[in-house]
Amino acid sequence: MMSEKSFATYLITPSIIVLLLTTTFPILYLIWSSFQNINLAMPWMDGFVGFKNYIEMFQDKQFWKSFRLTITYTASTVILQLIIGLGLALLVLKIPKAQWVFRLMAILPIVLAPVVVGLFWRTLMLAPDFGIIDFFTKTIGLGSFAWLSEPRLAVISVILIHTWQWTPFAFLVLLASLASLPTDLYEAAKIDKAPAYKRFFYITLPLIRPAIIIIIIIRSMVALSAYAAIYAATRGGPGTATEILNLYAYRTSFLEVNFGYGSTLAVFILLITITVAGILYSIRKKRS
Amino acid sequence: MNTINLNKKIFRNFIITFLSTFILLIWILPLIWSIFVSFKSEIEVLAYPPNVFFKPVLDNYKAAIFGSLSILSELSDSFIIASITTILTLLLSIPAAYSLARLNLFGKKKIGFYVLATQMIPPMGLVIPYYLILGKFGWLDTYHGMIIVYMTFSLPFAIWLMVSFMEDIPREMEEAAFLDKASRIKTLLYIIVPQVKGGIAVTTIFTFMNSWNEFLFAVQLSGNKVRPVTIAMYNFVSVEQTLWAKLCAAALIAMIPVIIIGLIGNNHIVKGLTLGAVKGGGRK
Repeated sequence: MMSEKSFATYLITPSIIVLLLTTTFPILYLIWSSFQNINLAMPWMDGFVGFKNYIEMFQDKQFWKSFRLTITYTASTVILQLIIGLGLALLVLKIPKAQWVFRLMAILPIVLAPVVVGLFWRTLMLAPDFGIIDFFTKTIGLGSFAWLSEPRLAVISVILIHTWQWTPFAFLVLLASLASLPTDLYEAAKIDKAPAYKRFFYITLPLIRPAIIIIIIIRSMVALSAYAAIYAATRGGPGTATEILNLYAYRTSFLEVNFGYGSTLAVFILLITITVAGILYSIRKKRS
Repeated sequence: MNTINLNKKIFRNFIITFLSTFILLIWILPLIWSIFVSFKSEIEVLAYPPNVFFKPVLDNYKAAIFGSLSILSELSDSFIIASITTILTLLLSIPAAYSLARLNLFGKKKIGFYVLATQMIPPMGLVIPYYLILGKFGWLDTYHGMIIVYMTFSLPFAIWLMVSFMEDIPREMEEAAFLDKASRIKTLLYIIVPQVKGGIAVTTIFTFMNSWNEFLFAVQLSGNKVRPVTIAMYNFVSVEQTLWAKLCAAALIAMIPVIIIGLIGNNHIVKGLTLGAVKGGGRK
């Protein structure tokens, strides 16, 4: 005989061991190396340096720039995904016969590798004198734009690329959530002659709030770990115009081979992620 | 009165259809256009304005498969890594999720929180220590190195997905307090596992797809011996020139598995996304 408790422990132990070894141990190693000098270009300087890397980080202009950009990128992509996804879900709800087409097509951007998405947009869509978008803007008389080589436009472009790929996620979740709403509330509201916008703000929005909060949580986490699409589209450029913290930590570690400082930047990314997750989960708990 | 209302309705429907179709087109435009370009010759590609009517050629696909820059070995590397990662993830996550979702597990809340926390670790926080650790073991650019790294994002996500599915099974299924280990394992294998077939399908799809599409770990922790397919695209992008048409052909070949999985497993994916959305999983 084996008690349920010991059987339960027996089943979960392998996974816990794997997670401790593959995730917790490397994170501890990362924290340790953030207090070290690890520079493959200057190995004779390696050793424990205390908070030197952290002090350097707070005095580093590029760090602050990347930090601000990360916040802008995360906030704007999440908001855009929600608004466009919700708008489209409401539209598609009105055409029940065509819903399956949208559901099927929405899968396509989601399944593509972000690096492929970045490359496709860089080459096929946004390249001057070659891309479709450029062709359209020229055709309607707006002229040609340097979408990826003018700093401000490049930031907008990488935000739009991320939004393009992941709005289908918000759309699919919201469509499922909207489709499962009880209809009797709406009948009552219609009998009361409540106008459409009132029905939306007082009935629909509160009912789909849990779905919205979950979308915000998941999409923020993903946006904070975004890397491949920006790497493929701009490599953080022009200059460092689109270098979010992930790309800056990558450049520092792997191109400048300064692993100590790179680790410090990565620890900071970890801390932002934990903070954002903590805030969002506490909002979710309060509401539900 | 009636005709005005009718006109209004037709107009409204027209707007709805027009707007939603427009967004639909934007979603599929890059993919459609890449298919066009992949059948063009490298000279045709550079024609401006972009040409829709042209004589399709298979050169790019031939080059991507048989040429000197062939992506075949990358395809097979990705297949090996993604398949083994998926199998290991299923073997570990199903018992773990069963334990978390349905058994009287000691410290259940804390363990559940730990798994969720590991899922949130940003990949940049892992790629740096892994580069140093795997380097020390000599495991960079190896299959087992890549599989270990891919377990870091697939296992926590899979455990949470499976927990959501396990929680949906009716309670009476395995009410029996006094069982030996063998019959407890039998309960899991013959009663629980068949009940969560759908969940296993969803988990398989997501694990395979996320491993197939992964780029950051691939670009930094693999190398010349082991090259996942997400890096293979760069065979056709160099400092001197980009071979647009061949790049498109290679990218499409690389994406065929996930596109097929996506279209066939469409319902599973939507279910996985929304389930994760109801209960709090989801990544990438």
